[in-house]
Amino acid sequence: MFHAAPKILAALALLGGGLTLAGAALAESPAAKAAATVCAGCHGADGNSVATTFPKLAGQQKIYLLREMKDYKSGKRASEIMTPLMANLSEDDMTELAAWYAKQKPARGVAGDPALLALGKNLYLKGNSKTDVPSCDSCHEEDGVGYTKFPRVAGQHVDYVLEQFRLYAAGKRTNGARVMQAVAERMSEQETRAVAEYMASMP
Amino acid sequence: MKSQPTLIALLLGALAALPANAEFQHQPRAAGIETYGYTWNSPDQDMNRALAHKANARKGEAAYKVCKGCHKPDASGQADADYPQLAGQHASVIVKQMMDIRAGRRDNPRMYPFSGDWIVSAEEIADIAAYLNQLPIPSSNGKGGGANLALGKTLYDKDCASCHGKNGEGDGKKFHPMVAGQHYSYLKRESRESRDQGRRNANPDMVKVLKPYTDADIEAVSDYLSRLAPPKK
Repeated sequence: MFHAAPKILAALALLGGGLTLAGAALAESPAAKAAATVCAGCHGADGNSVATTFPKLAGQQKIYLLREMKDYKSGKRASEIMTPLMANLSEDDMTELAAWYAKQKPARGVAGDPALLALGKNLYLKGNSKTDVPSCDSCHEEDGVGYTKFPRVAGQHVDYVLEQFRLYAAGKRTNGARVMQAVAERMSEQETRAVAEYMASMP
Repeated sequence: MKSQPTLIALLLGALAALPANAEFQHQPRAAGIETYGYTWNSPDQDMNRALAHKANARKGEAAYKVCKGCHKPDASGQADADYPQLAGQHASVIVKQMMDIRAGRRDNPRMYPFSGDWIVSAEEIADIAAYLNQLPIPSSNGKGGGANLALGKTLYDKDCASCHGKNGEGDGKKFHPMVAGQHYSYLKRESRESRDQGRRNANPDMVKVLKPYTDADIEAVSDYLSRLAPPKK
């Protein structure tokens, strides 16, 4: 993974170069420009990433975005891709970027497995008291839009969400609310997938 | 001598192999009733900070989000999962129990990840407690079978009412919980735990009272309390 980082960076620069023209119209601010040139390579020109392993950022909670960027910069949230990219950003840059992404319109998600949606919805809204899994809606809201430090989950890519659950359960994502580590540990593989599918299906 | 560094390396290796989760998911263990010289409700810095805070119920509503996933939006808890009913509880009681869980005086490894200062500050706990205190008390709580209510009342009036109040209303100033209208299953579990010294932050007076109680006695009192109308808000 480590040796892949420079390649990805190079790819980012190339993609960024290609997108500069398209992004020029959007570039009202330095943040928008950065988003269009550097971030867009993975997260999409409007914050709606196409590759399902990169999270959608459009419409994401501002406070959450800022915290994650700061945690990437400090290494509290581990990522060989994101940490170097954040290195030269000031807190003001990050605040501006967070505000820009929060304002973008989130695209609808794609749920891959409709058979799991009923189970996912039930868990999302009711939790599982047998295993002490709280309902997701209490923090992430019934419609999945999130709230301040609790991220938006509606329409998020299934692959990205599953990876986060894996990282939480394995103790590898330790920034932010430790609450999620407990939740992820307590959920079965089927429950996790079902919730991820349900989140993706939310408009 | 030579083997020592190897041993240390092995130990370090074993520590590193623990999931990163373990270190902070694990509830600490503080001295409780099992320890000689235990004082119930002894001064605690975290708790004093919460109690000194000018609580704001509106802020508490927002901070309650993280509790709501189990204790429900109306704070009625869940009878079948032994999650207590919290609406209308004395603020001081909520604060004390939260702090006892944070410090490891009351064992609750399942709730611990949702109660630490990484998710709620001492001040937010005070806000949450103020919010819960002013909520209307639901009457849909879980109740017992109803078979021994007379015995339950007799025992309660004789042994419990002096601290928990004639009508189970508790006493906020003394950190004595309101017990009327609580879920039967929760009352039963906590009373048994207190009797058997599993509830390590229990009041020694309560443990003494419960000592001669049979399971049937505890069930009778719990059932009686679950049916006792809580004070009107």
